[in-house]
Amino acid sequence: MNGTDGSSDEGGSFADWLQGTRQVDLWWTLAWYDTVLRYRRSLLGPLWITLSMGLLLLGMGPLYAVLFDVPLSRFYPHLALGVIFWHFFVGTITEACQVFIAAAPYLKQASFPLSVFVWRSLAKQVIQLAHHIILYVPVAIWAGVGLSSRQLVFVPGLLLVLVNLHAISIILGILTARYRDMAPIVASAMQFLMFLTPVFWMPDALHGRAKYILWNPLAQLLDVVRLPLLGAAPAPGTWRFLGCFTLLVVVLAAALYSSCRRRVVYWI
Amino acid sequence: MAELVLEDVTVEFPIFGAGATSLKTTLAAAATGGRIGRDTGVTVVQALREVSLSLAAGDRLGVMGHNGAGKSTLLQVMAGVYPPTQGRVIRRGTVSSLVNPAMGIERDATGYENILIRGLIQGVSRQEITRLTPEIAEFSGLGDYLAMPVRTYSTGMLMRLAFSIVTSFRADIVIMDEWLSVGDAEFRERGAVRLRDLIQATGILVLASHSPELIDRECTAVVELCHGGITAFRGERPLGGG
Repeated sequence: MNGTDGSSDEGGSFADWLQGTRQVDLWWTLAWYDTVLRYRRSLLGPLWITLSMGLLLLGMGPLYAVLFDVPLSRFYPHLALGVIFWHFFVGTITEACQVFIAAAPYLKQASFPLSVFVWRSLAKQVIQLAHHIILYVPVAIWAGVGLSSRQLVFVPGLLLVLVNLHAISIILGILTARYRDMAPIVASAMQFLMFLTPVFWMPDALHGRAKYILWNPLAQLLDVVRLPLLGAAPAPGTWRFLGCFTLLVVVLAAALYSSCRRRVVYWI
Repeated sequence: MAELVLEDVTVEFPIFGAGATSLKTTLAAAATGGRIGRDTGVTVVQALREVSLSLAAGDRLGVMGHNGAGKSTLLQVMAGVYPPTQGRVIRRGTVSSLVNPAMGIERDATGYENILIRGLIQGVSRQEITRLTPEIAEFSGLGDYLAMPVRTYSTGMLMRLAFSIVTSFRADIVIMDEWLSVGDAEFRERGAVRLRDLIQATGILVLASHSPELIDRECTAVVELCHGGITAFRGERPLGGG
């Protein structure tokens, strides 16, 4: 590749990360084609997943509303956003494990900042999310979710989620490149976390000490994107918790990126 | 200004067996003081051993050696793929590796789309690619096929497209594994002219080959690798530490 600086192999890992981050045209285009090419030869392409998600919501909504004894107008928007964002989290996190392994053909031929491939993967998942979020529109209209200024909080919420997912992707991508059994471990962990996260159930159904499971990071990340779209505000504690958690994953990602970035290509 | 300097470059590959790549084994080894996971010891293969070279604009370096002598690894180190385990690489100028022209080709995308994708991967700006696209399309001779998905191409057509794309971008340092030669007789001839143009415009050429004739024809200096070290050198002037 034409590394325009390419002056030497020395250079900070932050500079490397930034260089990859700034190659927006490269990673966005690759992510775009990752999506668009799935539409070729298929009428609905990625919308098939949206469609099956819609069917899941259609069946699950009325049933679980009865099981949990929650009014459907309150449960449906909660469930729809839960499923949509959980799918986004799981997709990003499980794909993150393969991000460098899948980029081997590129990384073995030329010098690329690793962050390019992490952004490509995340961008692809964001494009997917943009498909699925369509499902929320009819649900919100049906349930009468009003528009208010609170929904604007979704923007910083989503940004915070993206920062976290990017950092987690770097961590998992590097660890899986070195330790291949991270991928099945992460897949099982996500399955387990799905039950500990209020994706399907209402958080206010928990009593006493059970409430502590709401402090799992994915439940908190779900809150900052789901609650604003529902017209509610995430608790101040959520922001404080996520502030600390974000700091933790970013520091960990930065440490791994700077210590392992030169080794990753030897591992894949 | 092109410059490529290798100082005492050593490259060692860790070979992870199933034992070493497994997190469980490593954890077990740590938790039990190495009693259970005793097989975590990682085998290391030395692919390059204290290689020193200094190339400046105008240099045409040929790399020879048996299979497994370290030629490909040397090319990869020069392209910036492997940061050396020991030693230092100083690289000035843009690098273009023609080792695998078809890298990054998306089979479901059309020829035109692949020109864009491959160009962006090469680090070329979108405007520049748009400017070069008609010329690439014409040179490839693929005509209307360029609007078709690449998966419908024959192997020869795919290689013609990849060749036409990668040879259209100028770089200060060009790295090649054997002479790039694709397509039918007619295309080969045009391709040779185009490749020679590219090489003439480049500052540094590094060409690995098993053919002494090719190296004599194209290169001003030759190194021979054996077991990852430089064992022989021919050239007009010494190339650094060697």
